[in-house]
Amino acid sequence: MSRADDTELVKQCINGDRQAFESLLVKYQKPVFNAAYRMLHSAEDAKDVTQTVFLKVYENLDKYDPKHRFFSWIYRIAMNESIDCLGRINRTEPIEDELEDQGRGPELETDGELLKSQLQAALMNVKPEYRTVIVLKHFLECSYEEIGEILAIPEKTVKSRLYTGRQLLKDLLTGRDVH
Amino acid sequence: MTIDQKIVELINADIDGVISVADKGELDAVLATNSEARLYHAELSRLCKDMDSAQAIEPPPHLKHLILALAKPKRRNARAAASWLMSIPALRLSAAFAAGVALTLTFVSSDNLSKSAFDDVTGLVGTISESAGESSGKPSIQVSRADITGKIAAHRSGRIVVIDFDLVSRGPVDIIANFADRNIWFNGFAQLESAGTSVAAEPGRVTLRMDGKRRYALYLHDAGSRDATVDLQFVSSGTIVHEAQLDIGTLKGD
Repeated sequence: MSRADDTELVKQCINGDRQAFESLLVKYQKPVFNAAYRMLHSAEDAKDVTQTVFLKVYENLDKYDPKHRFFSWIYRIAMNESIDCLGRINRTEPIEDELEDQGRGPELETDGELLKSQLQAALMNVKPEYRTVIVLKHFLECSYEEIGEILAIPEKTVKSRLYTGRQLLKDLLTGRDVH
Repeated sequence: MTIDQKIVELINADIDGVISVADKGELDAVLATNSEARLYHAELSRLCKDMDSAQAIEPPPHLKHLILALAKPKRRNARAAASWLMSIPALRLSAAFAAGVALTLTFVSSDNLSKSAFDDVTGLVGTISESAGESSGKPSIQVSRADITGKIAAHRSGRIVVIDFDLVSRGPVDIIANFADRNIWFNGFAQLESAGTSVAAEPGRVTLRMDGKRRYALYLHDAGSRDATVDLQFVSSGTIVHEAQLDIGTLKGD
């Protein structure tokens, strides 16, 4: 992600250049949609969140601080919107049945589709504070430092949440107790 | 789990590729003698690999267009905004409205409707694009369904209520507008595209059929109703997929 390119696009957009906004939209709609999908496990909700994120970005571009990277700003909005959406739909409730239905085993499944759905179901059983860090690290390929910037938390906290989140996920997928 | 917390951190750092040479040596020594730590390392590595290799999901193809349609042009740079506006095919057509080039204005009559005088709505040409940008405080509906997404907004011009549809559908969708109040009747229809949306009117009801991205307006004559509403039904493949209500009774004139 080129910081200079994004900053220039934001500047053009603030000056009323809608093509610049479209460029930002083309560049970021997929990661934003995927982040929301991983947080919410619903394509319909992810679409709504993506729409809200970009409209908020567009309306608040003049509040964007170029000292920070643009992607960290938009990802932060995406995560906040996803968590707000979770609160509205109450999808933080454990979905143990889904995991049970898909079968648990002593080892992680290797079958592609089953594993994907099990992974996503397990992810939904992890608290949003851990899920957020896991999504940013593994699905948006952010570094510890970038995650810290996005969530405005120290790197130490990023590591702590990430390691705990992975542990919880692993335990869920291997059928052990979740602590 | 009985693995030391420090070893857990080293395993995670190793998986993320951020472990120092010294720490890597320490971890390797532990893994060589501790089978539980080896198993933990293997399981966690596989979990992380599975997540890292998960394929990204493509957003719905119409999402970009929907967001662009909903993002209102900024007003601080009128010249740039105008330039952008004219770069959008749909709004370029809107501008062509003024010249009367692309406007499709349809009057539909029936025995009942013909008893009512139609107002001249040609003066409202181009109001579709205006309403989209200035509908704050005016009744509007946001539709966000798998079959159809977008916005419907209403504003009034004298005795005419203009209902502005800015929608994207996957496949054909019928939108049935019901208005029970006898003081309201169908007065016209306009669309930005030269074709693509059909309209059928009968007393108390107008049915619009659309497919794809469409921008059009329905003109209703309102002889002065209070508490008037327009009930909208969205029908896809014979099933009502969404229902909404527009409160037009409280609309004030432009």
